[in-house]
Amino acid sequence: MLSGLVGDWWRPLWTHDDVTVIHVDLACDTVNEQRAWVRLDATERQRADRFRNGAARRRFLLCRSALRSILCRSFPCQNRQLVLGAAEHGKPFATVDGTCAALGFNVSHSGRHGLIALVPEGRVGVDVEERVAVRNLDVLVGAVLGPNERSEVTARSGARKLHLFLDLWTMKEALSKAHGKGLSMDVSAFEISSSMRHGSRRGAFSFPDRPDVVWRLHNIGTEQFAAAVAHTRGAGDGD
Amino acid sequence: MSSIEERISALIDANLEIEGRAAGQSLNLDRNVAEDGADSANIVAFWQLVCEEFGVDISAEEFAELLTPRDLIAHLEAATG
Repeated sequence: MLSGLVGDWWRPLWTHDDVTVIHVDLACDTVNEQRAWVRLDATERQRADRFRNGAARRRFLLCRSALRSILCRSFPCQNRQLVLGAAEHGKPFATVDGTCAALGFNVSHSGRHGLIALVPEGRVGVDVEERVAVRNLDVLVGAVLGPNERSEVTARSGARKLHLFLDLWTMKEALSKAHGKGLSMDVSAFEISSSMRHGSRRGAFSFPDRPDVVWRLHNIGTEQFAAAVAHTRGAGDGD
Repeated sequence: MSSIEERISALIDANLEIEGRAAGQSLNLDRNVAEDGADSANIVAFWQLVCEEFGVDISAEEFAELLTPRDLIAHLEAATG
């Protein structure tokens, strides 16, 4: 499967069990942007044209086109059969000839890095943040972390503080995106496990209101970016 | 005293990078900041700063529905009446 997931500006980054994460290179490249444009449908082209400058337009074009190519190979289907939509709170979904596809996917981008996560069934959420200085870091620490997380982050300074914050933030964002609530979820209401706060790269997680539903969480960050992916194994796990 | 729109515009200038908009340019009230290039971390910080600036409590769920300046200003006008 992975060999089919390599493209002109994207390639597999990470895989575990049946979860695959693909890295999309969002560096400025006019040739790739032209190639990306031809894969988009009319609605997506209108959306791309609403962006008022190059960076947001480029990120959208390159990620959306890569996603289309990857989904067409995975289902499989023709590009013209595939329609991408967004559910409440912005979570994307795909239909093929009008039928909702079982495959779960999610997209995130930051700076020159895009990530696309795929699972054959169930729900998945992914988040990436480039490891650069964050404006309003202390405001964010107060807003999105739980008490234990906050005390551990504020005990650090400089780059160590920034990196721990970004690791926790991407894990929380991946969970909220997998759940489907995205920005509307108060992520300060739950905490990442102590083992993952202290370096473990994977763990299990349950939201306080649904202890019966287990989400698998992976920290897949690199030196360049913080990143995480969260998923359920079965189609009904996250319902 | 500055209007709510002026205060929101100043907060956006200082805290959100809206693609293609220089600080101080007039604000398009109907454009969703999330679709205009602002990333989720900056939007969450902006949410906190709006609550602090106007002395209001807006939940994450409510704020996610207030991502155009027009909707946010209307909400603040009603809340601060």
